[in-house]
Amino acid sequence: MNTVLNLSPGPHIRDRWTTRYIMSVVSLALMPTAIVGVLVNGLHALLIILTSVVFAVGTEFLFDKVAHRPDTWKDCSAVVTGLLLALSLSPSVPLYIPALGSIFAILVAKCCFGGLGKNFINPALAGRCFLLLSFGRTMTDFPLDGVSTATPAAALMAGEAVNVTRMFLGTAGGVIGSSVLALMVGGLILWSMDIIHGQICFSVLGGFTLFVALFGGQGFDPRYLVAQICGGGVVMGAFFMATDYTTSPVGKLGQLIYGVIIGVLGGVFRIYGTAADSFSYSIITANLLTPLLETYIIAKPYAYRKAALARQRGEERKPFYQRIPRPVIALVIITLVAGVALSGVYSMTKDTIEEQHRAAAAAAYVAVVPGAESFTTNSDIDSAMEALEGGIYGSDFGRVTINEAMIGLDAGGNVVGYAISVTTADGNDGDITLTLGLNADGVINGIAFTELNETPGMGMRCGDPEFTDQFEGVSVSRFTLLKSGGSITDDTIDAISGATVTSAAVVNAVNAGLDFYESHMKGGSVG
Amino acid sequence: MRNTFRGGVHPKDRKDLSRSAPLRSYDATGEMVFPLAQHIGKPAKAVVKKGDRVLVGQCIAQADGFVSAGIYSSCSGVVKAVEKRRVISGTMQECVVIDNDGAYTPVASWDVKTDPATLSREEILDRVKNAGIVGLGGAGFPTHVKLMPKDPDGIRYVIANGAECEPYLTGNDQLMRTEAKTILEGLEITLRLFPHAVGVVAIEKNKPEAIEAMTQAARGMDKVQILPLPTKYPQGGERSLIQVIAGVDFPVSKLPADVGCIVDNVGTMYAIARAVQYQEPLFTHVLTVTGEAVKEPQNLIVRDGTSFRELVEAAGGVKDGVELKKILVGGPMMGMTLGSLDVPVQKTSNGLVLLNRDGSEEAQAQMTACLHCGRCTTVCPQGLMPQMMAEAAEAGDLERYEKKLYGLECVACGSCTYICPAKRPLTQTFKQVKSEIMAKKRAGGK
Repeated sequence: MNTVLNLSPGPHIRDRWTTRYIMSVVSLALMPTAIVGVLVNGLHALLIILTSVVFAVGTEFLFDKVAHRPDTWKDCSAVVTGLLLALSLSPSVPLYIPALGSIFAILVAKCCFGGLGKNFINPALAGRCFLLLSFGRTMTDFPLDGVSTATPAAALMAGEAVNVTRMFLGTAGGVIGSSVLALMVGGLILWSMDIIHGQICFSVLGGFTLFVALFGGQGFDPRYLVAQICGGGVVMGAFFMATDYTTSPVGKLGQLIYGVIIGVLGGVFRIYGTAADSFSYSIITANLLTPLLETYIIAKPYAYRKAALARQRGEERKPFYQRIPRPVIALVIITLVAGVALSGVYSMTKDTIEEQHRAAAAAAYVAVVPGAESFTTNSDIDSAMEALEGGIYGSDFGRVTINEAMIGLDAGGNVVGYAISVTTADGNDGDITLTLGLNADGVINGIAFTELNETPGMGMRCGDPEFTDQFEGVSVSRFTLLKSGGSITDDTIDAISGATVTSAAVVNAVNAGLDFYESHMKGGSVG
Repeated sequence: MRNTFRGGVHPKDRKDLSRSAPLRSYDATGEMVFPLAQHIGKPAKAVVKKGDRVLVGQCIAQADGFVSAGIYSSCSGVVKAVEKRRVISGTMQECVVIDNDGAYTPVASWDVKTDPATLSREEILDRVKNAGIVGLGGAGFPTHVKLMPKDPDGIRYVIANGAECEPYLTGNDQLMRTEAKTILEGLEITLRLFPHAVGVVAIEKNKPEAIEAMTQAARGMDKVQILPLPTKYPQGGERSLIQVIAGVDFPVSKLPADVGCIVDNVGTMYAIARAVQYQEPLFTHVLTVTGEAVKEPQNLIVRDGTSFRELVEAAGGVKDGVELKKILVGGPMMGMTLGSLDVPVQKTSNGLVLLNRDGSEEAQAQMTACLHCGRCTTVCPQGLMPQMMAEAAEAGDLERYEKKLYGLECVACGSCTYICPAKRPLTQTFKQVKSEIMAKKRAGGK
């Protein structure tokens, strides 16, 4: 008791949490995702994860030894980097990919900048981007059930339908760590333990959702928004990558801004960009902005904030929400209500509108193929339509697309005619959609417009019998438009005077339909 | 009123070790040492010399100036020397050393009670001043100065601080349980000085018996409220209390009185009651002897000047089979380490904590680079950004530290250092930088 004990300034007790503890918990929080990834993708995924982690920790270990630095590899942060990198890889990559990625992530992005706490971009993302740039093809090959397919995010960008439930569970293809459910379990655990900051992860998700809702072209359609959030690493980015301590701001306001930047940039890249995995880039961009946010966005201590200063003078200062001018509140509320109402009306009427379009088309089919009880297709038509992929038809019909081609059957199942729905974008005032009908022998029954919004008294007159009758009852393979009139033969059409553009567009559309008929439908029957 | 202050940490309170030990007096046997500088302000001037005979309660050093406090003997005996002795801070300070005769003959009986209602404002302040009372919460600011703010009518709250938020310490808990009435008398006397103020007794909820005792004793007092508060460090910091009770945050350049508050420890309130009613000077106070390395933790009423070594013996000594790793005066968050037990108890010493673990040493072994995790920012009760402050300090950017980050607003509560998972010595850095900046300012004239 007489020896002089260690003298030190306070505090003399410390919280139990250490760097290593936090990093271990983050690693554990990634376990559900890793397990689902291995279960869904098989043993190779496990090998990828192990390779990535081993190389990440090994690189840091070797760097410590070579550079004579304290044993920082023990703090478990390299494990987190390795895990994150592996989980953001395709389950089909060869093992040198995670190995190289981890080495780059730890050696170049982390250790060379001073190690833990000093790197300026997220090491795992740096590793991933390094791999994307160096091994583009291997990195973007995503097999599902043995077949290379587009990831759900890529499908979404192409405007295709995706299975949201499978995306949520993680069985829809994509990277190893694509199980949104597992990621959210881990992320929410970290959030509830105060390890990751809600200001970051929720502002990322919020910013992204809002941007996609406003500019994605589908409004607040919940299915669409959920699909967008579930794809392309948004959830992993929000909970595990954007929240990386070192590369995100420390202050609450800075974190909020940082999160919104990531979310919005992610939305911009998703909607206007070309790469489906652009969330990596949006996080890295925000990482680079962090020092700027840190320099300029510094919260004042409580005693120097406006409310406190007022109180020190003995005045009361109304809380923020009471200081907003009333008209502003009213306008915001009205805008919100109108926005929600509009998108509500849109999603409610969307199905009805489509139904009406179908009904109009069906009515048009019946009108141009009299006697038909039902319409169907055959394999020739299907393969021809598939080959078209909805693109421009032919080369000399202008901007024409074939919407649908059907064989009309009577009650007895006999072919009574053919209907082809064609849209041309060459109208004066937008798209013109018409249905061309032919009887079983190839004689044109007539044309019916399902979409015609041309100038009244001019282009609109293309809908008049005077014009449409010219197509009826003839059997030709191609019409020619006579701009100055004087048609005497079956294959010439007099233009509506003063509406030659519309007339030409209609004739081109009809010719395209006839061409399609000649090539794929003529004499065709069901079977 | 908000429920709690912003930020703060939740260290294990360890109060169970000594919570139920009843308050008892401990009379020292050895020589008594009275440092002349036990308070904020000018050190007292010794008024005795070697060979003088003194009695208990006799003034041995006089206040030197307005912001200063007198010192009173806690024993009877003969002055052995007025010389430099080692004190808690580890430095050598001028002290009055008294050879304790063990008889404890008092200089007066202090049993004639004066009704404070018959005393004028000046008389009350005089009695407080003549009792040498200083803030017993730890800082040791002379109480009579605190009770004479520029604008007494502007004081809205008189807060009796019974939060005792430092882990381990239970002295105030026991004092509130046993002397609730006297503490409230002290509070009422203080309230007489401030006609527009109400009294609030702030107690953390981990002291239910104390809350109960104080609530009972306060029954019928219409200007006094007992306020239980969540258990959170630094709840007992005066800024934390004022943030909760008055709803005001104020910079370190201002005093609580500037925002209409007077905060005094419950022990100080007790001393005020004794001083004003019986003219008894301050020479004893409560002190908890506790910690994992102590055999029988105690809540003691100790006499100033007692050697800490005697207090360890009073608590049964060091526990067998336990290695003593650290000795603290005060709590483990803001207390000071002792290199030797042979230093005297001062007025502001509220705890002696003997630990079997050295948190600082362990932290040093676990230290990593800063993670930027932001925990320090979350817990800072002042709303500062400790991580950025440490970065600025490391880079030597004192301009940013002071002007952009308001680094001088740090009150050194230790919350950031406590919570830091990278175990960075933040508070230590901030104390150093603060003294560096202050030194520069003094050198630069202003």
